[in-house]
Amino acid sequence: MPAIITVENLRKEFRYVRRRPGFAAGLTGLFARDIQTIAAVDDISFEIAARERVAIIGPNGAGKSTTLKMLSGILEPTSGAARVLDFVPWKQRRQLAYRIGVVFGQRSQLWAELPARDSFRLLRRIYDVEAKTFEVRLAQLVERFGLGSLLEQPAQRLSLGQRMRCEIVASLLHGPALLFLDEPTIGLDITAKGAIRDFIREHAGKEGQTVVLTSHDTRDIELVCDRVIVINAGRIVVDQPTDQLRRQFLGHRLVTLRSTAPKIEISLPGVVRRVSEPHISIFEVDTRTTRVDAVLEAALALGGIEDITIEDPPMEEVVREIYAAATR
Amino acid sequence: MRSTPRPHAELTATLAAALSALGLGVRRNLANWPILMGRALFYLVIMAVLSALWDKVAGQNLPGTLANVLPPGGLTLYVGATEWIMLSIAAIHLRLEDDIRFGHLEPQLLRPKPYLLQRIAEAMGDTLARLLGIAVAALVALALSGRSAPPAIAFAYVAVLGVFGGAVGVLLYTLVGLSAFWVRRVLPPYLIMQKSMFILGGLFAPISLYPDWLYQAARLTPFAANTFIAGNQMIAPSAAGFVAGLASQLVWIGIIAILIALVWRAAIAKILREGA
Amino acid sequence: MPALATYAANVAAAIRTSLMDRTNFTLQSVGMIVNDVFFLVLWYMFFAGFRKVGGWGLADVALLLGLIMCIVGVSGIFFGGYRDMAATILRGEIDALLTQPKAVLVRLLARESIATAWGDLIMGIWMLFTFAALSWSDAALVLAGLVCGTVVYIASAVAYASLAFWFSGARSFARDLTDFMLLFSSYPGSIYSGATRLIAYTLLPAGFVVLAPVTFLRAPSLETFFVLVASAAAYGSIAALMFQLGMRRYRRGEVSTG
Repeated sequence: MPAIITVENLRKEFRYVRRRPGFAAGLTGLFARDIQTIAAVDDISFEIAARERVAIIGPNGAGKSTTLKMLSGILEPTSGAARVLDFVPWKQRRQLAYRIGVVFGQRSQLWAELPARDSFRLLRRIYDVEAKTFEVRLAQLVERFGLGSLLEQPAQRLSLGQRMRCEIVASLLHGPALLFLDEPTIGLDITAKGAIRDFIREHAGKEGQTVVLTSHDTRDIELVCDRVIVINAGRIVVDQPTDQLRRQFLGHRLVTLRSTAPKIEISLPGVVRRVSEPHISIFEVDTRTTRVDAVLEAALALGGIEDITIEDPPMEEVVREIYAAATR
Repeated sequence: MRSTPRPHAELTATLAAALSALGLGVRRNLANWPILMGRALFYLVIMAVLSALWDKVAGQNLPGTLANVLPPGGLTLYVGATEWIMLSIAAIHLRLEDDIRFGHLEPQLLRPKPYLLQRIAEAMGDTLARLLGIAVAALVALALSGRSAPPAIAFAYVAVLGVFGGAVGVLLYTLVGLSAFWVRRVLPPYLIMQKSMFILGGLFAPISLYPDWLYQAARLTPFAANTFIAGNQMIAPSAAGFVAGLASQLVWIGIIAILIALVWRAAIAKILREGA
Repeated sequence: MPALATYAANVAAAIRTSLMDRTNFTLQSVGMIVNDVFFLVLWYMFFAGFRKVGGWGLADVALLLGLIMCIVGVSGIFFGGYRDMAATILRGEIDALLTQPKAVLVRLLARESIATAWGDLIMGIWMLFTFAALSWSDAALVLAGLVCGTVVYIASAVAYASLAFWFSGARSFARDLTDFMLLFSSYPGSIYSGATRLIAYTLLPAGFVVLAPVTFLRAPSLETFFVLVASAAAYGSIAALMFQLGMRRYRRGEVSTG
C-alpha cells in the first residue's frame, strides 16, 4: 500500500534559558543568557501506509506528542521533511485539517458548558460537512459509541471516559481518512480504555481509516495496533510489527508473591528471581519458556502463600530493555 | 486539670493568632510584588485620567459653578488620597462568599470568633501591603509631576487616617461577604455597598461639594469615614480635623464591628438550625 | 458566505453558554446596568456643579458614554473572546483550534460571550437615544462611528493579547491594558493634554475608539470620516500583523504554555 505519511530526518529543538540559583548567578543571567537546546525529536524517519494502525510509544518526554503535533501541522520542525496525505503539514495546515481527525487526550475540542450535541453541530460548520451526510454519520457514531443520553448533558458533567468517547466522535464527524490520537486512554478506567480500544480496532478497520496513536500504556499496543514505533529521548529505537515486538521484548511477566516464609525459591526454566524484601518474592517469568500458571502451581505447592500479583513489566523497563537491545 | 482556659490567656491567644494572620496578609502581598505593581500601575493610570479631569475643571474656572469652591490646584490631591484607600481595600467579601458557598466553614463552626477574626486580620494585612505599595507609587508620581504639595504634616495625617479608613472599608466589605449566608451571591449587595462608598464617601469629589442636604446625610455615614476624612486632609489639613476624623473612624469601626458580631451570631444560628 | 455562517454558529453557541446559568446571567447584566446608571448619575451631578469641562457638556459626555457602552456591549456579546485571549493562548488552548480548518483568530474571538456586555449594550442604546442629543438622521453616522470604534477597540485588545506570544506576564497584563483603554475612553477627551493625550491616541487608543467618533458625529465631514476609517484600518492591520507574528512563534514551539 502506498505511504500516506512519510517522515524524513525530522528534528525539533526547543530552546530554554537555564536559570541557576543564587544572587550572583541571577545577575550574570541578565547579561549572558545561558540558552540550552534540547532535541525533543532527534532525527526520526518512518513511513506509514494507508489502513495501518500504528502506536508511537515511549516514556514521558520521549517526543511522542511533539511528533504528532508536527504531523498534524500545529508545530513546525527545526529541520527535516514530512508529508501527510500529500500535504506538508505545517505549510498546508488548513487543507490537511479537513482530511484528518485529531484527539488530544488532555485538551478538549468540546464546549464545556454545552451539551455534546451542540459541539457536534458546531463542528459540522467548521468542517463544512453537508447536512444530510452529517446527520447520517452522527446517528451511526452515536449508536456505535452508545452515546444516546450523554448527548444532552453539558460536556463538563460527563465522566472522563464518556467525554473521551464524545471527543473521538467529534474527530470523526467530517469523515477523515487519518486519525491522530494523542494519549487517548490517559486517566481512563479499564472499561473506558477497553471501549476506546475496541473502537479503534473495529471501526477504524471497517472504515479503512489509518490510525496513529501515542501512548505510554503497553496494552494499547498489544490490543490495538499492528505496528509499534518506540521513541526514546527523541529517537526511534524500535519500529516493528506488534507480533515481533511481543515476541522479542514483551515476553516476560512479573509474578510477585507474599509469603509467610522469608524467602521462597522457584526453580523452573525461564524464571529469574529479583532482589526484594523479606517475605516478598518477585519473579521474572519468561513466558516463552514457562507459563505463568506453572509458576503459580509451583509456588502454591510450597505453601504459605498469602498474596499473588501478576503484572506486565513497567513500560520504562520495556523501553529500557528495547533501547539496550538496540544498542547491543 | 483546668477544664476551660483562663479568659486572659484565651484573649491573648486570639490576638496573637489575629496578628499572625495580619502578618501573613502583608507578607503574601509583598511576595507577590508583580501583582502589587500592577495595582500601583492601575492607580497611576486612573490618577492620570482623574487628575486631567480635575485640573481642566479647575483651570477653566467658569463663573456660577462650583469651580470657585475648589481648593487651589484642584481636586487631584484629594482624589489621589481617596483612590489610594479605595484601591487598597482587600476583597474580603469574595473570600467569604467562597468559604460560605463551598462549605469551608464547617470545621470552623466550633470556634466562630477566631475564624472571622482571622479572615479580617488577613484582609487588613492585604490592605496594609497595598496601601504601602500604592503610596510609594503615588509619592513618586507626585514628586515627578512637580505639583505643589501640602505641608508634610498633612501626609502624616493622611497616612494614619488612610489606614483606619482602609479598616472601615474592610469591615464594610465583611458585612457584604456575610450576606452570602442569606443571598448566595454577594454581587448585588457588593454593588450597592461600593456605589454608596463612591458617592457618600466622596471618592471622586469631596462630599463638601455636594448640595447641603446630601453633604449632611453623607457625613453621618461610615462611608465618609472610609475615604472622605482622609482625602479632606489633603486639601484642608488641620490637627483638629485629624483628631475629629480619627475619632469618628474609631467610632465607626466599633459600630461596624458590633454589627458584624451580631450578623455572624445570626448566621451561625441559621446554620445550626438549617445546616450549611 | 460560509465563513460568516460558521462565525454566527460559533457565537450562537457562546451566547447559549453564557445564558446557561440564568441567575448568574441576570445578576451580571443587571449589575452592569446598575453600575452604568450610577456613573451617569455621577456625571449628572458633576455637570450640575460645573456645567462644562473643556467644551464638553452633559449631552456630549452622554454621547461618549453611549458610544463606549455600545462598543463594549457589542464586543463582549459577539467577540467576547477578546477579553481573556492572552490567558487562552498561554494555556495552550490554541492547539485544538489549530487542528481545525478555520482561522484561529476568528475562533478565539467567538469562543466566549460575556454576560455583562448585554447590560452595557442596553444602557448604551438608551443613553444614545435619551441624553446624547441625536436625531434620527444621525443613525447612519452613529452606525459608522460604532463600527469603526469597535474595530479599534477589539484590534487593540487583540494586539495586547498577542503580547502573550512573547511574554507570559501578559496573561493578566493584557487584560489590564484593555481595562486602561476602557478607562481612557470613558472620560471627555478634552481633558487630555501632553503625555496623556499622546497615550490616548496611540497605545491606549481612546482617541480612536470614542473620541474620533464623537467628533465625527458632532461635526460630520469627509475629514472626520476619513480619520474614523483610517484608524480602524490601521489598528486592524497592526493587530492582525502582531497576531500572525505571534502565531508563527507559537507554531515554532517558542511559546511556553502550561
